[in-house]
Amino acid sequence: MEIQFTHEIAQLRQGAGTTFHGEGILAITKALLQAGVAYVGGYQGAPVSHLLDVMVQAKPYMDELGVHVEACSNEASAAAMLGASLHYPLRGAVTWKSVVGTNVASDALSNLSSPGVRGGALIIVGDDYGEGASVIQERTQAFALKSSLALFDPRPDLGLMVRMVEEAFRLSEASNMPAILQLRIRACHVRGSFACKDNIAPAMSTRALLDEPAPFDYAKLAHPPVIFGHEKLKASERIPAARRQIVERGLNELFPGRHADTGIIVQGGLYNALIRALQQFGLADAFGGADVPILVLNVTFPLVPEQIAEFCGPKRGVLMLEEGQPEFIEQEIATLLRRRDIQTPLHGKDFLPQAGEYSVEVIAAGLLEFVRHYLPGTATAPVEAWLAANRERRAQVAGRLDRPLPPRPPGFCIGCPERPVFSALKLAQAEVGRVHIAADIGCHSFATFEPFSSGHSILGYGMSLASRAGVGPMMQRRTLAIMGDGGFWHNGLITGVQSALFNKDDAVLLIFKNGYTSATGTQEIISTPSDQARAETADKLGSLTHTNQTIETTLKGLGVEWMRTVHTYRVEAMRKTLIEAFTAPFAGLKVIIAEGECQLERQRRIRPWLASLRERGERVVRVRYGVDEDVCNGDHACIRLSGCPTLTIKDNPDPLKVDPVATVIDGCVGCGLCGENAHAATLCPSFYRAEVVTHPKWHERLADRLRGALVRALRTA
Amino acid sequence: MNATMDERRGGTEPITLLLCALGGEGGGVLSEWLVAAAREAGYAAQSTSVPGVAQRTGATTYYVEVFPVPVADLGGRQPVFSLYPVPGALDALVSSELLETVRQIGNGMASKARTLIITSSARVLTTNERMQMADGRVPPAPLAGIVREHSLTHHLVDMDGLTRESGTIVSAVMFGAIAASGVLSVPRDACEAVIRAGGKGAEASLRGFARAWDHVSAERERVAFVGSVLGGAAPLLTASPTDASPSDASPSTTSSFAAAPVTALTATAAARFPSAVHDMLALGCARLLEYQDAAYRDLYLTRLDRVYAAESAGVTANASGARDWATTRTTARYLALWMAYDDIVRVAELKARASRAERVRREVRVADGELLRVYDYFKPGIPEVAALLPPRWAGALVRWDRGRQSRGKPSFALPLKIGTHGVAGMLALRALAGLKGLRRHGSRYAQEQQAIERWLGALETGARLDWTLGNEIAECGRLIKGYGSTNERGKNNLLHVIAHLAGGADAGAASTASPSTAVDSTARAEAIRSARVAALADEGGIALDRSLAAHGAPPRPVPEVPIRFMRKPDPRAMAAKAAKS
Repeated sequence: MEIQFTHEIAQLRQGAGTTFHGEGILAITKALLQAGVAYVGGYQGAPVSHLLDVMVQAKPYMDELGVHVEACSNEASAAAMLGASLHYPLRGAVTWKSVVGTNVASDALSNLSSPGVRGGALIIVGDDYGEGASVIQERTQAFALKSSLALFDPRPDLGLMVRMVEEAFRLSEASNMPAILQLRIRACHVRGSFACKDNIAPAMSTRALLDEPAPFDYAKLAHPPVIFGHEKLKASERIPAARRQIVERGLNELFPGRHADTGIIVQGGLYNALIRALQQFGLADAFGGADVPILVLNVTFPLVPEQIAEFCGPKRGVLMLEEGQPEFIEQEIATLLRRRDIQTPLHGKDFLPQAGEYSVEVIAAGLLEFVRHYLPGTATAPVEAWLAANRERRAQVAGRLDRPLPPRPPGFCIGCPERPVFSALKLAQAEVGRVHIAADIGCHSFATFEPFSSGHSILGYGMSLASRAGVGPMMQRRTLAIMGDGGFWHNGLITGVQSALFNKDDAVLLIFKNGYTSATGTQEIISTPSDQARAETADKLGSLTHTNQTIETTLKGLGVEWMRTVHTYRVEAMRKTLIEAFTAPFAGLKVIIAEGECQLERQRRIRPWLASLRERGERVVRVRYGVDEDVCNGDHACIRLSGCPTLTIKDNPDPLKVDPVATVIDGCVGCGLCGENAHAATLCPSFYRAEVVTHPKWHERLADRLRGALVRALRTA
Repeated sequence: MNATMDERRGGTEPITLLLCALGGEGGGVLSEWLVAAAREAGYAAQSTSVPGVAQRTGATTYYVEVFPVPVADLGGRQPVFSLYPVPGALDALVSSELLETVRQIGNGMASKARTLIITSSARVLTTNERMQMADGRVPPAPLAGIVREHSLTHHLVDMDGLTRESGTIVSAVMFGAIAASGVLSVPRDACEAVIRAGGKGAEASLRGFARAWDHVSAERERVAFVGSVLGGAAPLLTASPTDASPSDASPSTTSSFAAAPVTALTATAAARFPSAVHDMLALGCARLLEYQDAAYRDLYLTRLDRVYAAESAGVTANASGARDWATTRTTARYLALWMAYDDIVRVAELKARASRAERVRREVRVADGELLRVYDYFKPGIPEVAALLPPRWAGALVRWDRGRQSRGKPSFALPLKIGTHGVAGMLALRALAGLKGLRRHGSRYAQEQQAIERWLGALETGARLDWTLGNEIAECGRLIKGYGSTNERGKNNLLHVIAHLAGGADAGAASTASPSTAVDSTARAEAIRSARVAALADEGGIALDRSLAAHGAPPRPVPEVPIRFMRKPDPRAMAAKAAKS
């Protein structure tokens, strides 16, 4: 794993009377233990990876408490894990990135929420929405609505977020509804404090085992005929029970204000941005005291009609602040007001944008409309001036630049083993023509950016091979599907490989076998090199991924006949293998295993080892590449084949030449791609490989001295 | 924290900081330090971020708010912090990279009325800037200008340099700069205590912190002094990075070009040309003398003479300004480079120099007692060998290679990795460099001279007709660079452009001249300029073809390449075959 959470694990042990200082998602992790959670599962993904990562690393402490932690193979398996709370009074929590994870999990979620749970079942989702997001922009709310899952969207205050975890379990148990606690990216990464409580070891746990399975109860099955009853129960009992909890436990918050005849209803997660926006109008102070009454929905499903009606009834106008589309909450409120014949005007998406993140500035622009309509005594000029100044500044900067600033998207790490494959793919296509490339989720999706600009579709995690099933038969040339080992195990094996084999599809699949789910923080998977392999391998510099053959044996077992394994740094071999796969007479599924260990993990492995060798005065070879500045042709073809951050350009030192030359800067890990590309693509002869030997052996020093004198004499001035 | 922070806006608003960093630069650690330091000093603080997958070398931001009244004086009330930076309401924008600073200014974040900008003056080039065929870098001068124009005060700090000097990562340097800037006025020792509490790597971080602290403090003192002298608060002025336009690129002292001997320019040669041309002329003469011999240099001078004469005649005839003899000067540059075309002899000669060995040692930072081994990557092919052979033999060799390719084999080339730190490798380099004499009799020499003459012919004709047209043709010399396919591509593009866009200017291609001959010379100059820019836009020549078409020129001829016909096998045919067997 990328991060060592020693400090965070210590924080998990904090007891009552102490204060926790740290990130939102770790506060939630601690909150689970304070709520007496018995089992935890999930699938990694920003912004909630840390929850599971910390729990996995904290195994000894979890064992102490009797908490079971499972790193699930995908979100569906995580959601299914909540099945433990169907019969048994166990509190369980799972986590994933939403909306994509919720999509994958939705089958199990439907089947869980139909019979309903006995123990509290909580899903912590990181809502990957707005700036910094990496997935399709959709709302988790839709899943809560369709499956009747309670949805918490707490105000981003650590103390309240922690309290809501406990409340969500309680509500889940009281209503039999599983609950989702939704956290926006910035709330996951918010750094704040809260007063700790003691952790509670669950009553039933890995240390206090259940004696007997639950008695047979057909009503607990998602199976006809009880499913019809379940649906009715949702409306007649569960949702009303949840509403009672919301009111009795004060889960939604009402902040009164001077302008009592107006009001704002807000999703809890947007509260802080709303307060800052109100401050721009002088309608709120630094501590949240506002002139306009605010109803904060820390639970956005189910709504409590009485609460809403009571808030809206006596007002001249109400604004609903709801991020994302469609505006489910606003629609529901409109319906319930209409049904009760409450004539209070309701505003929302008419004042605010339909799509996109609700930042302070966006909210303020919407508030401006609301204030103009309902608070005529409030001076709007300062806000108008501020918004105009923002627009003006943006225009000014744009005007000063002759073209828009180039983007800086994420890219492959220095020395990433996946980069060379895209170099080879570019070269192979130069020879056999362009091919349709079904891309996937994972680090390799960075190849969609410059300089590779590769990939025709991304249909979901592990979906690449499946997504070419309709394209392949329509195309003169073969198609290529690219998948990471993360995506392969997440679902690519089933949706892609199994289907292609069964249908005898003529397809090419390239699997990046780097040993980890690297994009999410290098979590381990079933094909990760074992600790034993790490300890036993003498040459620690090399990739270790070949020591785990789970992918290969699985594919062989399924019946894959054409399989080639190529080390990713061997660009020429990869180029030839790709061409072979595109042109071979074999008409079935052709799989190329592109093997090369994740460079982040490799560096984590070898850095301490090399440091210890150096300290002990043992021989160490450091490799770095370089460019001869006077030989470089200034065309930058090498960069168009690599994009490595350490292969960059600098002013041409030759006063006659005008275009900058390529240069290798500090940070180069000597992965070898520059040399491989120089040969495979016949680049200019400016690349060199430098090997620096620290603590050389005596005979090396002697040989070097003899040779050095001769070579020096041979060099020209 | 001192009173200055409390006083700001009456202690009713948080102090706000937006931090910009690239993945792996420790922005997360920095925001952690800031929050911890504020907390230790008794203030409420919050930070947040949107790292996503941007941790992998992409740009990302961190946002910090600190409430300026001590928690003890708040009477139990808790400030509500924002998770979003508010455009125009930042107290500080701190960034490790200049372009990212400007990106945030462009997002409207900084304001002249309120924001202190602390930014690195260093650039980390984006992929888009690095991958262009010519120079895709965003010029730094406007960037620094934007920082100046949209900040209350600013510090342009070479964070890259400070980071390297102190052997740490840039977050420590940013922390030191923030601490010294006074925006938070957390006492220095409180900040350092927070770093120390982090344990691992603390010493290096403290070094980086201290260097940045000293740098920013010194700047503040200087400004305070200037302000007191002038009797008012002077905005902070710092040296901005200069716009290093390519033509002004000063020879770096570490390069093998450092000693470009201006003395190579003999008095007679100098007398033949105006002084505006002398610097380029000296470099050109030196290059050709070094590349071949005095006779070759003299050929260069004779050729340049013709261009100078044409430019003079054009200026006289058209009564237009000479514009500092830019055409002759530009030709002096590109003609020298073209005549000193790169071949294996030249490469071997450059790689066998002692100065090169020194440069490599410096670049890879070889310490005393360490051994260095250097391996050079070469892949000489048939064209490289044929270049040195007389035309008849070269032709035969090239025909043999074409034959190979038409049989589906790759063009013959020898991938070599030569250890040039060794005796054998160095001997090989010296032997190749010793083939200089063959060059003049080789097939490539003849081809290059012919192409040069076509360019010069067009240039002369154009210069006599219209100064701008001549100058645009001279500028086309930029298309010629490098080796192998890069060189071929550039040469073909240039010859095609002058054949079809220079009108009658290209005597050698008069028969193929397009109808554009009738168009006036200004339009032709513009067409050539646009085609030249387009030729450097993409490798495939898509932009160039578009530009050619827009100006009525025929598309470039499709080069002859062996075709590898690839289709996936027909399943029916396969099934039939299987049934037969």
